[in-house]
Formats: sequence, structure tokens, C-alpha cells
Amino acid sequence: MSTALAGSRWIRADLRARKGQAILTVLTVAGIVAALITAVTLLEDSTNPWRGLFAQTEGAHVWLYTRDNTAQLAGVRALDGVTATAGPYRSAPVTALQDGRREPASLRAMPAEPPQVAHPALAEGAWLDPAQPDGVVLERSFARDLRLGIDDPFTVVALSGQRHTLYVRGIADSADQGFYPEWTPGLAWVLPEALDRIEPMLGRSEWVTGLRLADADAAQVVSQRVVVMLDDKLQRLYTWREIRAAMELDNRLLGMLLALFGVVGLVAAALALANAAGGRVLGQLRDLATLKSMGFTRGQLALLLLVEHGALGLLGVALGTVIGWAAAVMLLGAPSVAPMPVLTIVAGTALVVLAAVGVPAWRGGRTPPIPAAPAQPPSGHLSRLARLALLVRLPPALVLGTRDAFTRRVPAFLTVFGLAVPMMMITIGLGVWATLDNFARNPDQVGQHAALQVRPGKLDPDEAARLAGADRDVAAVYPGTDVNALAPGEGRSVRVRAVGGSTSGRYPFPVAEGRMYAEPGEAVAGQGLLDLLGVKIGDRVRLTVGGSPLIVRVVGRTVEPDQDGEVLSVGLDSLAAKDSMPPEYYALALRPGADPDEVAARLLAESGESLEVQAAVNPAERLAMIRVVIVALIAVLTLIGLANLLTASALGLRDHAADLAVLKAMGLTPRQVMATLVTGTGLLVVLGVGAGAAVGASVVTGLIDLQGHTSGVGAGIGRPPSPVMLGTAVLLAVGTALAVALIPARRAARAQVPITAR
Amino acid sequence: MSDEPVLKAVNLVKIYSDGAVPVPAVRGVDLQVEAGEFVAVMGPSGSGKSTLVHMLGGLDKRTSGEIWLDGQRADTLSESAWALLRRKKIGFVFQFFNLVANMTVADNVELPALLAGASTKEARERRESLLDALNLTGRADAAPAQLSGGEQQRVALARALANQPSVLLADEPTGNLDSRNTRDVLRLLGQVHKDGQTIVMVTHDARVAALADRVVSLLDGEIVDDGRLSRPRRRTVGEVIDLR
Repeated sequence: MSTALAGSRWIRADLRARKGQAILTVLTVAGIVAALITAVTLLEDSTNPWRGLFAQTEGAHVWLYTRDNTAQLAGVRALDGVTATAGPYRSAPVTALQDGRREPASLRAMPAEPPQVAHPALAEGAWLDPAQPDGVVLERSFARDLRLGIDDPFTVVALSGQRHTLYVRGIADSADQGFYPEWTPGLAWVLPEALDRIEPMLGRSEWVTGLRLADADAAQVVSQRVVVMLDDKLQRLYTWREIRAAMELDNRLLGMLLALFGVVGLVAAALALANAAGGRVLGQLRDLATLKSMGFTRGQLALLLLVEHGALGLLGVALGTVIGWAAAVMLLGAPSVAPMPVLTIVAGTALVVLAAVGVPAWRGGRTPPIPAAPAQPPSGHLSRLARLALLVRLPPALVLGTRDAFTRRVPAFLTVFGLAVPMMMITIGLGVWATLDNFARNPDQVGQHAALQVRPGKLDPDEAARLAGADRDVAAVYPGTDVNALAPGEGRSVRVRAVGGSTSGRYPFPVAEGRMYAEPGEAVAGQGLLDLLGVKIGDRVRLTVGGSPLIVRVVGRTVEPDQDGEVLSVGLDSLAAKDSMPPEYYALALRPGADPDEVAARLLAESGESLEVQAAVNPAERLAMIRVVIVALIAVLTLIGLANLLTASALGLRDHAADLAVLKAMGLTPRQVMATLVTGTGLLVVLGVGAGAAVGASVVTGLIDLQGHTSGVGAGIGRPPSPVMLGTAVLLAVGTALAVALIPARRAARAQVPITAR
Repeated sequence: MSDEPVLKAVNLVKIYSDGAVPVPAVRGVDLQVEAGEFVAVMGPSGSGKSTLVHMLGGLDKRTSGEIWLDGQRADTLSESAWALLRRKKIGFVFQFFNLVANMTVADNVELPALLAGASTKEARERRESLLDALNLTGRADAAPAQLSGGEQQRVALARALANQPSVLLADEPTGNLDSRNTRDVLRLLGQVHKDGQTIVMVTHDARVAALADRVVSLLDGEIVDDGRLSRPRRRTVGEVIDLR
């Protein structure tokens, strides 16, 4: 107890004496934690939009479809745990006609006054208005898929076969169902009168009711009771869990990237903290020795330092959590911030903080108790590097700076390492960026040699092929069919993509290993499929397609961004004729420089809107979020690097405060003194940044390929950042670092340094 | 208690073996300090006097030999046990004062008392009376850097005495002071000695050493002379300084 009292006295005094530094430490940690929390929350929100949409629309937890809206529904509303209901709304199935496509849609009757619960959140335009009875509001993903905007006509065919044209008044977000086309039918809201006009037959429609619950976890129980209560009146039912699952993006890649960045960001932050605490401990060696001479034991001293520096770090964590939380709440609204990732970050950073200050605290505890020994740099002789600098007759300021850089080995190493780690991560980030750019620029390297896919639709397949081939921008037409095949011993099917010929007219799959198939009976597969079936290149695979066996030998591995890589690609002639004729679609490879949208529009026009044309979605577009993450992380890493740098230059100044007077006495001009100090830090910066960039550039391809391997896409996609990009980043980092080091050095060089005994 | 020496060193040896060649600093010192004695350890630079005092206070590990403190064997103690022992039995005064720079004078003096288990109130009372006795009452809230060298050393003395240690070890306490401050500090040392405090003081200044009851001379790590000064000392230099 007595030590606690004395220790707290000492901590208080020490913190009072270095308010500025303490505040900087707290702010650095707070900044890192806040950035991490904001990034994770935003990412979580963008990859899992359900939470935000649900909060925004005050959505319903359970949705049920019934044949009619009879009194039994009242019983459902009275169920325990149900706080409010939406509907029942009448809903009718229709088919939407758009650009020659026929898409399933469901028209839902909603009043002009949007309801309290599960109200669609308007993103564009206006809500339904009785003054415009032909108005329709489309769910956003449905509108996007149909490429419809405000005031566009929206043609629907009712079950009776009658056509109706509605006009898009608004586009709204909703948490009532998943996104189109993963979740069908698409959702469109109309006024009840409009629905009565389009589908007068009540028997062809159903009633939709949403239940909002007090406790989301009760959804399972409530839905079971609904099933029992409504019995055969109930057509189908789903809960928020199904909707959320449907909305979730395949975010394995993002998740892994974020985890990687997060872990390394934490390591870098830990280094920054360890550096700051270590620098402080070095500065206090004399005081620590005095404390020991007064009777503090080694353990007590270490504990004291751990408490002091740890408390600063933890305070930073707390502050960062509040800031990050506030930022997330401000951006997304309170209920949509997920608590779990935030808690994980808080716990993780707190642990890292304690570990980071633990080492310097332990070292501080081992201070020899003879306080007479002043804290001098341990080695007085010239380092080998400095001697080399002297040999090549560099200016004295440079030599002295070089010598200074390495007088304290451990802090010098920590500084270099502390800069190298953020720089390495920045390089990796740039590599990911370059990889995405490469995806976008060379779609054929990710298996998207064909930019368009046309389906014959109403046309004869041969006619469709002729039309497509006749277009001036189409370089090649590959007939193709996608079929599902049952894999032996797997309770699930895999995709078999048959496109082009096996011997001639082969579709140029990007083969990363092995070779391309050369005859019927040979196939190439994505990493995901190889892993799923546990086969190697050269193995034979037996699948079942529509009852008939498909036996192929896998001769190569392709880069496969679709279906988690669980795709087997073969020539069309490898399939049985019944499965391959006529081809389901034609993959169109365009001439270089052709605009897919233009070609698609032209094909549609030429076929009289009979062809169905789809553009391939580049994985880079799906992963656009990564770019935002990269930019944010580079910002955080820069912050960490700067914190490290400030510690290093502060420590350097402290070590050399006494030397400065001597240097001046020896006849160095203030400019030379400044150059000495800047060289001292600058050399470490150049080393750290250079090492970081080199390591990053050498591992980035491997890392992305590793990630590609685990996500099923397969290795062979990674690209290092371009030399120009990397060079710019390195120069920027070094330049900023030198500029930052210059300010304190300048001040120190001009200050009057008193010559005193310590 | 009175027939037993407060501090006893038996064949104490210290050899620094950091470098390639082992450097003996103290080679076989036998020393007994009786209760209430004021011993000055003299010798030229590098004679091992500081090392000897550091070893006696447990700041430095002995290579061989024995150290007894209040009849208890101390040289075999671990570093932590030494620290605990120092809290109550040993007060240190250093050449460069070594006040904790961030703490006020009051905190510096209270710290050892708190460490030894005194309550906040006790520590404050003890600090007040000590600072009072040392004429520092007005400076209690000052930072060490605001004090003159002599004042700092007086504060360091107050801090060393805070727990009424069995023995006060002073390592060149006046080595960094001008003659006026030297006189002040020596007068205080004389006073606490008169009050019964056992003191071992390292110095290379004969005038300072003259204040002691006994002068031990070290040369190359060995005691070459151990002489009791005759009392009453009328014309010693210490007295002369004292009178001025």
C-alpha cells in the first residue's frame, strides 16, 4: 500500500511535468482507435447494409404472406413481443418488361401516407401521390438492375397478360427483403387503386404483413407461433435473419484485408507507444535510479511505469472509442452501429497498449540504482557507418548526424522498424490498389475475356449468334452453357461452365497453373473447386449433370472470381449434346477499345429488343470499397509513422542537447548543427521507409495470391505497385519525415544551449 | 545495540568485469562503523570510495565479502530485499543532489516516508518539521530546478533523513557546491550527527573530512589509514569554515 501511495505521487508529478507529451500520446492512440472503429463500422455497414436499412426504415422483424387479410391476422398482432405491425398490404405478382428482359416483380399496395413501421426510405424522387395514379416507387436494387430512373416508364404484365405502363416517381431503400436479383421478385410500391386496376382479381394476390418485435431474437419464437396460428392460411414467412443473410456481400476478401491492416496497424501503433514510453523512460533514468536508491524495488518500479504509460494508452483507447463511436453514430445513426466489432477493437487495443508499454516498463525497472551515472548515450565511438562516411569525405554535419543516428541501438532499431512497418503496409495497400487496377484494365486476366453475354431470348439461337457476330465491335463469339453438376460425396452442386470449343475456338481462360484444355474430356477449374473436391491438376473428376455423368480430367487451374472459385470450365463439346444444344448464351469478346454499353445498346436495337444482353461485372467494381479502406488506412498509418518520428527526433534532441553546445563551440554554424540533427533522424527515416517499401513490394504479390488462394479465386492475381507509384510514395514519406524533423532541429540549432553539468 | 556496530564490512571486494580486463575497485576492505559515529572516507579519484559506499547501501553488488547492517547480514540479499532494507535503514545523499526533477520539494521529502509506510498525514508532518529544521519551509512548493545547489542538497539531506535511517550514506555531498553552501550543508551534517545520526561520508576534501570523528583513507581500493580525530577539535578547518 505504501508503495502505491508513493507511486501515485510520483506518477502525478511526472504527468504534470510533461502534459504536452502525455496529451500527444493519448491523442495518437485515440486517433488510431477512432480510425479503426470508424473504418470497421463503415465497412461493416457497407458490406452488411441490412442493419442500417433496418434502422432507417424502422423495419419489421418478421414478414408473413397470407391468402387473405381476415380476422386471424388480428391474433397475430396480439402475439407476445409484437410491438407494431406493417400492413397487411395487398401484393400481386407481375412481370416487368425492360430492355427485352422479363423480370419477376411484385406490386405492393401502399397508402399515399407511408406507414410508421417498415416505411420505405426514399432515395430519389417522391413518394406515391393520389394525384398521379400511374406512379410507382421502385426498390433501389431493383431499379438499378432494370436501369430505371425517375420518370422512366415501367411496363408490367399482369397474370392476365395485360400490359400496364407505370411511371417511376421515386426510388426507395427497404429492409423488407433482400436485394434484387439475389432476392426475387423485385419490389415495387403502387397505390391501392393502381393495384386494383392492374390486378382486379383478389384471388391472384396475397397479403403481406410485417411484425416489429420488441426483441429481435424473439423472431424465431414468434414466427413459430404465427405458423401454428395461421396454419394453412400462411403461404410463406421469413425473418430479418434471412433478409440480412441475403443482403450480405461476400466480404471474405474485405474482411481479410481489414484484419490484416488492422493487425499490422495495431502493431505499428504498439511500436509507436513502445517508442514513446521507451523514450520517456530513457529520459528518466536518473530519476528512476533515485527512486531505487530510496527503496523502490525492481518490480515496483516496472509496475509504476506500466501503470503510468498504460493509463495514458488506455485513456487514449477510451477517448478513441468515444470519438470513433460518435463519428460512426453521426455518419450512420445510433442504432446501426454494431457493438461487437467495436468491443473487439477496444479489447484488442487495450491489450496491445499494455504489452507495448510493458517492455519499456520492464527495462525501466532494471535501471541500475546508482543515480550518479547520468543518462548518456552508451557508445561513444564512431559507428561503422560513420567511419565509412568519414572515409568518403562527407561533410562533417553529415558524419556527425550519421554517428548520432546509431548511438542508441535499440531506439534506432525501434524507429527504423516503427517506420518500416507502416511503410510496408502502405506498399501492400498500393499493391492491392494496383491489383484492382489490373483487374479493371485487363478483365481477361480474371476470366472476363468476354465483356458481354447475350441470351437468345425470343430469337432462334443461330439467329442470335449471327446478329452478335455481325456487330462491328465483336471480335469473337463463344457459345456457352452454364449447368449445375452434382459432385460426388458433396451434398451440393457446383457450376460447370461450358463455353467455346475444346480444340478450336477455345475460350481464353486465364490459366495460372497447368495448361489449357486441348480436347473434349479435359477441363480447367478454379481454386475453390479444387479445394472443394480435393483434387489436383491431372486428376480425373466425375460429376453428374442432369442425370448423365460428366467425366473430365482437370489439366489446369484458372483464375476464377465467380462462385468462390467453385467453377469447372470445359469446352462446350465436353458436355452431352442434350445439355449443350442449343447454347444458353453467347459470350462476346469485343475488339480492344470498344465500349460494352454501346455494343449492348446496338445489339438490342438490331434485334428489336429480343436479345437479352448482360455486361460482365468486373471484380474490381465489386471490391471498390477496398479502395476507400486503403485510403483510410494509409492516413492512419501515416499518423502512426509521424508519431514514431516525433518520438525519435525528441529523443535525438534530448540525447544531444549537451553536444549541441560543444558542436557550436567547435565552430559549427547553426545550419550545420541543424543538418546534423536532421541527418540523425533522416537516416533512420530513409532506412525505415526503404526497408518497409522493399519488404512490402516483395511480399505483396505473395500475400494477395495467398488471399486469392483462400478465397477460391486462386493465386496469380497479385500485382506489385508500379515503380512510379511506389517511388512517389517513398519520396513523399521521406520528404514529409524530413520536413517534420526539420522543425525541432531548426529550433534547437538556434536556441542558446547552456553548458551545464547534469 | 550499542556494543554492536551499525555497519560492518568484512573483506569487501568489488571487481568490475564489464570490459576485457577485470578492474578491481575495492580490494578487501574491513570497516566497522559504531552507532552515532561520523566516518569520512577519503581518497583520490578512482580509489574506490564511491564504490565502497554504494556497496554499503546495496546500490552496487559486492564481488565477495560480507556486509552487516544492524547486526543483520545484508550482502546476500536480493536486489528487492535491499530496496526494502534501504527504505528504513539507509539514507542516501549524492553529489548531484538527485532530487526527482518533476516533484516539488515537499513531494521529494515525503516520498521516502510514504514508501516506508507512513500515512499521508504523518509524512506531511515529518516533512514540515524537517524542512523547518533545514530552513526550507518557504520552498516546500518549489520545483528542484528553482533552488540553488545548496538548497537542493539540503532538500536531499531532508529526504535522506525522512525515515530516521540507521545510517546516512553521503557520496561527496559538497562536491558540487561553493564554499558558502558547503558550509551550510556541513553545519547541518554536524547537527544531525550531534543528534545521534550515524554518518558515512565520502569526500576528497580534507577540510570537509575534518568535520568527522574518524577519517578512513582509501588508496587503490584498500584502506591505508584509519584514524580517529582527537576531540575537542578546536582549530580544524571544518570549525574554521563553520565559524565564518
